[in-house]
Amino acid sequence: MAANMKAVKLRIKSVQNTMQITRAMELVASSKLRKAKERADNCRPYFQDLHKTLETIATGNTDFSSIFARKPVSDKWCYVVIAGDRGLAGGYNSNLLKRLEKEAEGKDYVVLPIGKKAVEYFRRRQVPILTESYAEVAQVAVGECFEISSLLCREFKSGKYGHISLVYTRFLSMLSQQPDFIHALPLTDLDQGREDKEPIRDLILYEPDSVEVFNAIVPEYLAGLIYGAVCESSVSELAARRMAMEAATDNAQEMIEKLNLNYNRARQASITQEITEIVAGSEGV
Amino acid sequence: MKTFPLQIGTPDGLLFSGEVERVVCRTITGELAILAGHINYCTAIGMGQAHIILPDGSRRNAACIGGMLSMMHGSCSLLATTWEWEEDIDRERAEAAKTRAQEKLNQTQIDEQEYKIFRAKLQRALVRLSVNDH
Repeated sequence: MAANMKAVKLRIKSVQNTMQITRAMELVASSKLRKAKERADNCRPYFQDLHKTLETIATGNTDFSSIFARKPVSDKWCYVVIAGDRGLAGGYNSNLLKRLEKEAEGKDYVVLPIGKKAVEYFRRRQVPILTESYAEVAQVAVGECFEISSLLCREFKSGKYGHISLVYTRFLSMLSQQPDFIHALPLTDLDQGREDKEPIRDLILYEPDSVEVFNAIVPEYLAGLIYGAVCESSVSELAARRMAMEAATDNAQEMIEKLNLNYNRARQASITQEITEIVAGSEGV
Repeated sequence: MKTFPLQIGTPDGLLFSGEVERVVCRTITGELAILAGHINYCTAIGMGQAHIILPDGSRRNAACIGGMLSMMHGSCSLLATTWEWEEDIDRERAEAAKTRAQEKLNQTQIDEQEYKIFRAKLQRALVRLSVNDH
């Protein structure tokens, strides 16, 4: 019995230690979350406006002289995948990668992973990677987004791939985050899903001309989209981690309660046994 | 005068949303003013001073760098990489950036990539200072 008690005691200790860690991680995530949420909230109107404006332009566009506005030249896709740097965030990374798998099934594609988890995943699966220089999502700020976007545009122009899509996690609320897809380039991809009715073509005046306007706008648009998606993803990651850690702490608490009960029971049993032994012994005398 | 809705957005937030009489900024081809009732229009923004005229006739100056301007169905959205109101410009920081960039550009052993970066930095600093001088 004594051995059993000791084992239970040790187990309680170890669960308590784990609980301390998960609680600390929860606190860290929630304090970081506040800052990240502010950044995402600031960026969201820009992100949405940008996408909406380009969507309107894409639907209305009748001028296909720019490579960015033309029908894709190649069937190859390039996915910009924004995942997290670290695990222990519930299903955050795996949900995102699963969503990508579903979308990319049967397609020929390259990826530009942002975030260590994405890099590791694609390396393991031996998917061709465009660049690994942006492995840490925490270090991606506006400047890096512009670098990424100019790289993507250069490769796009050279015809290495014909489509660019973003895979990121959308922050719906503190409790729910959803992996999402955005078609970024070419602009003809933007009005997908609305092909059921012939759209009303608005004529737009481009100055000086559409090729030059698109050449100037598209890299900025892509950078803006990537930055927005990075903001959304990082806030989602923190929210997911906070939730996962909260659940882990709760579970640990529950486990400790159960173990305590077991411990007390074992203690009680050993006392009873000792008494029985003493009584039996005194009777024998 | 007639007004139209304008939205100014940057990655750092929505900086302006409301009715204006006129918006003036520098595009990749030159200065441009948009008034109410403009046809659907789209252009890319260069670097330079910009200002808006509010319905009460007052004027707000800003430094505007990069981005796009589009006028769709009577409402205008200006999505800039950087848009700083005159009063928000940090003059000391801009001065420091200017001298730093000039020093770098005066060095001989920089490669083309670096040269481009510092030239862009210098230009940005100069735009900020010119708006602040106004």
